[in-house]
Amino acid sequence: MTAAPMNTQIDTPAEASRPLTFRERHASQIRQWRLYAHMFRKSFSSMLGLTLVVLFLLLAAFGPLIVPYPEAASGAINMSAKLQPPSSTYWFGTDEMGADIFSRVIIGARTSLWIGVVITGLAAIVGITLGIIAGYRGGWVRAVIMRITELFLAVPGLALALAIVAALGPGITNCVLALAIVWWPGYVRLVEAKTLSIKEELFIESARSIGAKTPWILWHHILPNCMSPIIVKMSMDMGMAILSAASLGFIGLGAQPPSPEWGSMISVARTYMPDWWWYSLFPGAAIFLTVLGFNLLGDGLRDILDPRSRDR
Amino acid sequence: MLTFAFRKILTLLGTMIGIAALTFVITNIAPGDPARLVAGPNATEDMVATIRSEYGLDKSLPEQFIVYMGDLVRGDLGTSIVTTRPVLEEVMRYAPATLELVFVAMFLGIVIGVPLGMLSAVYKDGPLDQVTRIFSISGVALPAFWFGIILQLMFAVDLEWLPVSGRLPLVTRPPEFVTGLLLVDSLIAGKFSTFWVSLQHIILPAIVLSFPCLASILRVNRAEMIEVLQSDYIVAARAHGISSFRIVALYALKNAMLPTLAMIGLRFGWMLGSTVLVETVFDWPGIGLYAVSSALSSDFKPVVGVTLMIGFFFIVANTLVDLAYAWIDPRLRKA
Amino acid sequence: MLGKIIRNIAIAGLLASSVLATPAGAFERTDKGNVIVFGGRQAIPVLDPHIRYDWSTRMMQQAVYDGLVKYEGDPAEIKPWLAEKWETSEDGKTWTFHLVKNAKFHNGDPVNAEAVRYSFERGLKLNKGVAWMLKDFLAPEGISVVDDYTVKFELKGPYTPFLSFLPWWYIVNPAQVKAHEVDGDYGQKWLTDNEAGSGPFKLGRWEPNVLYEAEAVTDYWKGWPQGEANRPAGVIFKIIREPAAQKAALQRGEVDIVEGLTPDDYVQIARAKGIAIEDHKGMTTFGIKFNTQQGPTADINLRKAIAYAMDYDALIQVYNGAASLETSPIPDAMRGHIDVPGIPRKDLAKAKEYLAKSGYPNGGITLPYVHVAGLEEARRIGLVLLDSLKPLNINVEIKPEQWPNMVANGSKVETSPSMTSVYTTPVSTDPDAVAYQYHKNSWGQYFAMMFYDNPKVTEMIDKARSSSNWDERAKLYADIQTQIVADQPEVFGMLQNRRWARRDYLQGFQFSPVRFTGEVDLYPLWVKSE
Repeated sequence: MTAAPMNTQIDTPAEASRPLTFRERHASQIRQWRLYAHMFRKSFSSMLGLTLVVLFLLLAAFGPLIVPYPEAASGAINMSAKLQPPSSTYWFGTDEMGADIFSRVIIGARTSLWIGVVITGLAAIVGITLGIIAGYRGGWVRAVIMRITELFLAVPGLALALAIVAALGPGITNCVLALAIVWWPGYVRLVEAKTLSIKEELFIESARSIGAKTPWILWHHILPNCMSPIIVKMSMDMGMAILSAASLGFIGLGAQPPSPEWGSMISVARTYMPDWWWYSLFPGAAIFLTVLGFNLLGDGLRDILDPRSRDR
Repeated sequence: MLTFAFRKILTLLGTMIGIAALTFVITNIAPGDPARLVAGPNATEDMVATIRSEYGLDKSLPEQFIVYMGDLVRGDLGTSIVTTRPVLEEVMRYAPATLELVFVAMFLGIVIGVPLGMLSAVYKDGPLDQVTRIFSISGVALPAFWFGIILQLMFAVDLEWLPVSGRLPLVTRPPEFVTGLLLVDSLIAGKFSTFWVSLQHIILPAIVLSFPCLASILRVNRAEMIEVLQSDYIVAARAHGISSFRIVALYALKNAMLPTLAMIGLRFGWMLGSTVLVETVFDWPGIGLYAVSSALSSDFKPVVGVTLMIGFFFIVANTLVDLAYAWIDPRLRKA
Repeated sequence: MLGKIIRNIAIAGLLASSVLATPAGAFERTDKGNVIVFGGRQAIPVLDPHIRYDWSTRMMQQAVYDGLVKYEGDPAEIKPWLAEKWETSEDGKTWTFHLVKNAKFHNGDPVNAEAVRYSFERGLKLNKGVAWMLKDFLAPEGISVVDDYTVKFELKGPYTPFLSFLPWWYIVNPAQVKAHEVDGDYGQKWLTDNEAGSGPFKLGRWEPNVLYEAEAVTDYWKGWPQGEANRPAGVIFKIIREPAAQKAALQRGEVDIVEGLTPDDYVQIARAKGIAIEDHKGMTTFGIKFNTQQGPTADINLRKAIAYAMDYDALIQVYNGAASLETSPIPDAMRGHIDVPGIPRKDLAKAKEYLAKSGYPNGGITLPYVHVAGLEEARRIGLVLLDSLKPLNINVEIKPEQWPNMVANGSKVETSPSMTSVYTTPVSTDPDAVAYQYHKNSWGQYFAMMFYDNPKVTEMIDKARSSSNWDERAKLYADIQTQIVADQPEVFGMLQNRRWARRDYLQGFQFSPVRFTGEVDLYPLWVKSE
């Protein structure tokens, strides 16, 4: 396990004769991060992942400003230009309503970012909270939480999410909700295991002996020590959440038209196979590259932050 | 060991009941009224009521739940309101198609994943390792439904090498039912042309399904190999002048196999879950397609049934892996 | 066993190279003759003729069962079938049917009056599927056997459309059904995937969700219209869910006819060699139903504004021209249809005029548009609507819903959305089948989601359905149509054409608008071989 030493240093330097500069105060951390950055840069796959993720974030932020036909994402139709092949006017061709696929794919990044952030965020908040409680409190609380977690982990997520969305009705909000419901248990298991091992450590014991309150310990010691695997997992999950939401969209339970969502676009596009191949090709490629980006990034981060788990 | 196994099986049963409760509650919170769907578009209110009472849908939710759990204990998964058949019977009918697909996909995952994992361990951090790394992560990142469509486009529509979808050409009569796995049954019956066409049909969906599984097999195999290759006895073997190839192929691989097998076991249930997408794309008449079409018509008994079934396989696979480990390493029995 | 498998694998490997995939040649020939293959998207979960009647199910029911009468042709006409003639009493309450004497069930039993009586009783008592058509006018006790080949129906009141429903009531063999009865279920369990009929086909392979085979009956009592020599050995209904796969199968000649391609596919595939398109004007109407009782759309001026803002040309474009605009609530192919003068067409000035008179003179509202999830054209029409209403500053929220949820919400005024897209196929050619949708008694049904309430119209409908004088009825239906259009309970959309793509060697295709979308009469089909 990794007891990252950077978080356990004491923040009050005793012999501060002159005010230390930021650089000096955080010298060890800076060295550490330099090392990380160096390792990261050395790895081709990590850099590829980072590039893809940055590109995706840029598109999500500025997409509507740079696309040629921003109105394509809000339901403007142009029936005379439907199903046009890729050309200099329509880079990715047009869809069955004459909307520009390039514009829709680019603006779709925003939808996907939102999906990824909400699912991962909700899952992480619920999962981490329950995980810490389970690991720290132990006893019957832990038993109950872990039983429920295992229950969820025993059902393949996609199948369960499918059942939930089918019951709630199609729509992007229900999709995100369903996926968040099946996503949190992974965090519980991760954080619980981590908490269990940390809470026996000496520095936790000593903090408790000098009268530190439980929430304070959780916040200042346990959580920071769990952070590296959580960050790695969240980066991976961003991609997988986007992929899962797209899968539900593909089955026909995803975003409502006209909002551009890649999975739903493919769901419509597949009926236009094979003659109008561009319609499904580009949204699919967008999903692939985005998910690949987050996964490579997560993988690269794991190498650095959590090197032992990489080979597991 | 026996008590350990017994405890595991008890947990398994408990989890099954938990899953049943979970899915039942989740699928029944919605306002949908499947009785209306099957009653037909022009049905009058009293006709809908007839169907509702026939399927016990007029009872309160807790009552329905008790009835369902009671039936479940007796091995009855309820009745599909759309097809009017027992869910268990239908799941049994569609399960062989899914299992066949998963087995073939798993086979592909192993025969590609293990050698690749081995190679990237031997040439750790080399260019080959980098390439397989990106390859394996790509495998997980590929949207199965899209990848399936692209493969169909290339190999079925464009090149016309393989069929677009389905399990058999429609005029080919399935071989006599023995296992339900067409590849096996056709061989038992000695029908080679049937074997051949069903193989052609299974290739594309199996490839799509195998990708994520291939990635994890590759990864685990690589990690284990690295560890084994660094261990003392391999170093010793090397010092004795045994050729590198022999070391890797015989000694190291043998030791790395157990965790790999464990991963295969874990991936099994997961793959059953992702057949939902692959079967939809390839029109594969398995339980995944059955679950999707039932979900889309708000027919929830089959959805619960299939989820339960997949969960069952998932847990059984996990339990077997646990037991295997415990058998090998007695220290784990306390867990 | 294992040894055998391994040996066979080895042989298979050797053979593999020699039996490379040969593209299936055209229609399937078996030792019994040609087998026609139909590629469709919808399965047949329950075959029982008194339980279900969606298009794929009814297509197979029509193949294996006979009714007293049968719809044929375009415009659809009622032809004598098991009943060779019939008469009605003066008061229109008693109907007597005389059966043909040579009809027999597939097991050899004769089709007699008792079989007819039993079948109708079964349909009414099960109270499922087709029951709604007759149950208000016919009780099981009202059916009586006069002699072996004469059966009498005594209705509770005069009901002119009675005959128009009879083609959908198929006759089952009571002896077979009773033999398979379990716990008094009227043989429901058995008839799910078995048949007890007298039709031109009997069941062959039955692999649920994969394929369903109908084998021709060699000595069908009514003979074969294409001649014994041309008659196919059977028809296979193969489930192919993806349009792309359907299209590929048709082009490769693995199937002979498909339904349900996208509008663009039909245009594209029509150019392929050896493929012909069946394109016929149907009776399925499309309307965007307003909730006329509650919410913004209770305001008739808003409804008119929306109707005048709608881009009707785009509706046709969605179907690539294979549709025609509705000129009345009643489809063109139905008796009594008139072109209602002044039915709204796109006119933005008028739309804005009506909007100004409404409670929302500046728009600024968001209205839901609900459609059945997965219905591609309905979704696209939603996009057209969204685009059309932008000039009125009205926003549209397109909401796909599962069919059962949509129907459940639409059954009450309070939960019914402002706009719902609804396709309706009348089950008979009688105008009452459409007019009654605007009757207050239809409230709660999916096609009555507008909760239309005009006492004058209701009264006219009641009068028309009990009258047996056609001229009087025609006049009433003309007034009904005009009044409904004036009240604008929905945006009157279009009638989509029914389309199939088939190989050109497939002959004998007979279109009838009263059949459901996709449904084909399999009986007259045959393969012309060069």
